[in-house]
Amino acid sequence: MARRILCVDPDGDARTDTVEALSAEFDGSDPTVEFVTAATAADAEGALTTDTAAVITEYALPDGTGFDVIGAARKACADAGCVLYTDTDPDTIDTTELRGAITEYVGKGSAFGADRLAQLVRTTVETKSQSSYPVPQTEPERLAALRSYDLRGDAVVSSLERITDLAAAFFGVEQASVNIIGEHSQEFLACHGGAEEWETMDREDSICTFTILEDAGSMSVPDVTADPRFESRSEALIGLGIRAYLGANLTTSAGLTIGSLCVYDDDPRQFTGEDEAYLRDLADVAIELIELRAAAGPAATAADGGDR
Amino acid sequence: MSADPAGTYAFPEWLPLEPISQGSTVIVAGPAFSNAEKLVEGMVAGGTRNGEGALMISTNETCRKLLESLRRTAADLDRSRLGVIDCSGQDIGSGGPEVQVKYVSTQSDLTGIGMKFSALYESLYGVATGGRVRTGLISLSSLSMYVDLRKLFQFAQTLSGRIDSADGLGAFTIDPTTHDTQTVNTLCQVADGRIDIREPEDDADGELRVRGLAGQPSGWQPFSLPSE
Repeated sequence: MARRILCVDPDGDARTDTVEALSAEFDGSDPTVEFVTAATAADAEGALTTDTAAVITEYALPDGTGFDVIGAARKACADAGCVLYTDTDPDTIDTTELRGAITEYVGKGSAFGADRLAQLVRTTVETKSQSSYPVPQTEPERLAALRSYDLRGDAVVSSLERITDLAAAFFGVEQASVNIIGEHSQEFLACHGGAEEWETMDREDSICTFTILEDAGSMSVPDVTADPRFESRSEALIGLGIRAYLGANLTTSAGLTIGSLCVYDDDPRQFTGEDEAYLRDLADVAIELIELRAAAGPAATAADGGDR
Repeated sequence: MSADPAGTYAFPEWLPLEPISQGSTVIVAGPAFSNAEKLVEGMVAGGTRNGEGALMISTNETCRKLLESLRRTAADLDRSRLGVIDCSGQDIGSGGPEVQVKYVSTQSDLTGIGMKFSALYESLYGVATGGRVRTGLISLSSLSMYVDLRKLFQFAQTLSGRIDSADGLGAFTIDPTTHDTQTVNTLCQVADGRIDIREPEDDADGELRVRGLAGQPSGWQPFSLPSE
């Protein structure tokens, strides 16, 4: 899937120059990059999608400011890198308008202009340096590993659901799931109980996006309201019945973590070392199952009932 | 300070650190009165005598106080290559004519701090030899009193990304005794390595230990600040 970069500038020549500079920087990149342009804040906001990886915008727009576009981007594509690329002196801009949202600034008049912009946008997109969560150092390899598995087959999901059933029974909880961490979102691949109703979640709201960084292979959160990483999102999590969390990583034989097996308690709860070890064992079984299915190839998927 | 081996940043003699690769950011973790902030001042401002740029983000000390402190930690400072972002909200105009200073009225305005950092970085990049700029942030702990962890992480990671893209060097201080483990570990994720500071066992001014960076001395190393 191509990454989208949105360039917003009321001046048509300036838009063209920006796209040309960025096109040269991203020439031959994988995944490919698709450029979208807009001349107004309204058009820019309409062009934002969940696949938008970066937004480069002038400050002064005919129907608003670049901050309007950046504010909309923070809602539509929270991970996107935002760059104010402008003639406007930053000392004259009222930055309180953005209420603490982060943006880069590059002056069009600087001696380096478009070249520095291109380098900066590339780093911002490739390292997701404006995201509100850390990403593994092996993120590109991790995403490639994830893409290499066909996780849509009924049989593999059915098997993983039985593992979530076992996890829920062992921990005496009503909800458990196998979660896959994609580039921008978390997918609930197999679920037990109320988790079956859950839909895709933004990666910045996911607990598992922190779990996949754990060298120990598992992570517990005894109370989301008391953990500084999740307290700002605790209301939404509690709404899903997640007050306490235990997750264990699905780590491939190549050492790349594609997601986690998780159990959730609707009350605060301390998990023991034995609890974590047990869930890690179940997660190991889950990833072995995924890898065995992948090794068996498409024929096995078809024989097992085809795609979902 | 010895010459920088290719692709690295070297440090003044009083710092027991080997050169660090360009594009790197390190967290310098030490409790109050551990001299962690002095160490960052020396790591960052010490490069101006070689023609590099130095950009200091001072969250709660005024530019005037920072300059007073730099008299000891970077005695041969070239002020024309120093930029300061003063977020203290007081004593506006204290930097003096030769230092580039930008003021942000409150530490909660991460948008303003980030944009002024970007603008000042571009300005220093233009005058620094080889575009080499070192950045110091003192301190993450102070900012954490104004914004939640996720916002602070996003801010610190954005700074780190700019430093990486421009082949600079970053050093951010944190007082680990004022945060829980999750906060410290999360903020350390923005960096390539970590330097811990502790009180000395002898008459040195402190001890440091480096983790996560190749080619550095192992174990605790004593250091003494330059004489006043």
